[in-house]
Amino acid sequence: MNQFTFEGREKSVLIGGMVLGVVCLALSFFMDASPHSGEYHSRFWTNFLHNAVFFTGIAFVSLFAICAAITAYAGWYAVIKRIWEAYSMFLVVGLVMMGIIVAGLWGHMHHIYHWADAEAVAADPVLLGKSGFLNKTSYTIMTLGFLSVWYFLFARPIRKMSIMEDKAGTADYAIHRKIKIYAATFMPIAAFSSCAVIWLWTMSIEPHWYSTMYAWYTTASWLVSALALTLLTIIYLKSRGFLEDVTEEHVHDLGKLLFAFSVFWTYLWFSQFMLIWYANVGEETTYFKTRRDEYPVLFYGNLIMNFGLPFFILMRNSTKRKFGTVGFAALLVLFGHWWDFFYMIKPGVIKELSHADGAHGLLPSVAGFDYPHLIELGIFIGFLSLFFYFVFNQLTKASLRPERDPYYAESIHHHS
Amino acid sequence: MKEYQEVLYGLYDDETDLMDAVKVANADHLDIMDVYSPFPVHGLDPLLGLSESRLHIAGFVYGALGTLTAFLFMTWVFTRDWPIIFGGKPYFSAPAFIPISFELTVLFASIGMVVTFYTVCGLGPGVNNPVLDDRITDDKFCIAFETNGYSNEEISKLKGFFSTTGASEVNTKTI
Repeated sequence: MNQFTFEGREKSVLIGGMVLGVVCLALSFFMDASPHSGEYHSRFWTNFLHNAVFFTGIAFVSLFAICAAITAYAGWYAVIKRIWEAYSMFLVVGLVMMGIIVAGLWGHMHHIYHWADAEAVAADPVLLGKSGFLNKTSYTIMTLGFLSVWYFLFARPIRKMSIMEDKAGTADYAIHRKIKIYAATFMPIAAFSSCAVIWLWTMSIEPHWYSTMYAWYTTASWLVSALALTLLTIIYLKSRGFLEDVTEEHVHDLGKLLFAFSVFWTYLWFSQFMLIWYANVGEETTYFKTRRDEYPVLFYGNLIMNFGLPFFILMRNSTKRKFGTVGFAALLVLFGHWWDFFYMIKPGVIKELSHADGAHGLLPSVAGFDYPHLIELGIFIGFLSLFFYFVFNQLTKASLRPERDPYYAESIHHHS
Repeated sequence: MKEYQEVLYGLYDDETDLMDAVKVANADHLDIMDVYSPFPVHGLDPLLGLSESRLHIAGFVYGALGTLTAFLFMTWVFTRDWPIIFGGKPYFSAPAFIPISFELTVLFASIGMVVTFYTVCGLGPGVNNPVLDDRITDDKFCIAFETNGYSNEEISKLKGFFSTTGASEVNTKTI
């Protein structure tokens, strides 16, 4: 079967998930114990930002993966490239979601970003010095601009040309060469622009703190999540009888990438942590000290789920080839990296809110900010359903076997 | 007293010819001594009935040994033997030990695996390894049979196998 069909049963399950997500988002709007919750609704907005950034990042990094593979003359990925293409199209939803955050920023609806508070900035030499970059205008231009460039100038044309390739009589190298130009152009643009938006979206939540490793670290987190989600999608589509050409060889290679980039993520996490811990400079250490001492569940859970368990589960050759074990590891790591974004965003917002009130010492323990509660899990399921609803809808628009891709034959015979 | 082996070997020009020939040999129940190729040929191991190497298990053990050695040694040095305060950190500073533990993991695993591999394969300084034909390190693919005490009939059967499977050259050698 080449043509994916979006079954009614799948639709109803995914719509059910989205309804759950909306209900939980609404609950988080009202059940909020954070400072100034009546005014800022921080629990709602941080949940929204958390999931928006997580899934937009997955879409972005999938596009990056396609471009990297094309530029590197890689062949193995051709049998799964429709999945990554469908993921990358989700950037348009990301544009809408981040647009809502931008609208909230201008409408003073949330207080995720302390640097958006003009009075606080005027009284703070550090923030004043950073205000050339950290201001509403640059946030708006870069968020909307870069997302639009990613989607309209790259994701959509690449997808369109790839589908056009299917209709060509034989393997059409002219189209492939054209895609390659787009792909090679995208990579440097993506590298710089993704750093800038990561600084703005998540690192600027604690505007006094910065780390030069942060952008890498976040991108690695996105990449691992995208690989985990790809594995889960493959396992699901194969259970429905699609993707006959995807064998355990491809799953093995994706498993190797999942393993390798989990370790890479840990390397970045640790490099960021250890240098700051060792240097012990107050304004740098505060980021980790708060998280380790006051949010130990988040801090250690992050390391166990994203390094300890996948490292030992995926180490052996055979576990990467069995759908059961690799699927379990993928599920774990996907949740783990969602947790990682929770860890980056939530404590920072509470810290800035309490410090803005002049509080010092221990932060208040606030439900929905200390660890993912049921409401947060419901919202995750909601966004995941939205993502898959969109992706499945995209998958129906083209054959799952891009047989005219010049590398398709190579990909079928791939041997890892 | 050194033991001599009489070897009959055939050279193939292409890896696909080699793979087909190995399949024929398996079907005819010929006892292949060994197969030589200039590079690893995918899919040859299962055809020859070779089981998966256990070298990586040894590698894991050496690696774990390296981690423990480094971590426990540093713990002993900095808490018992010669405690020094570095930058106001506690004597037992686990994060600071991790980079060195990692290095020793890699060092132990790599050296341990090399030594194990050489020992298992009987390689080492001063070992004489007869090469059947110089070109199997360059562009030829070789199937070799041990023919000690073979009758003429058996040898001609093997030669027949080589000619039907398209070997470009058939030679004998005593090693």
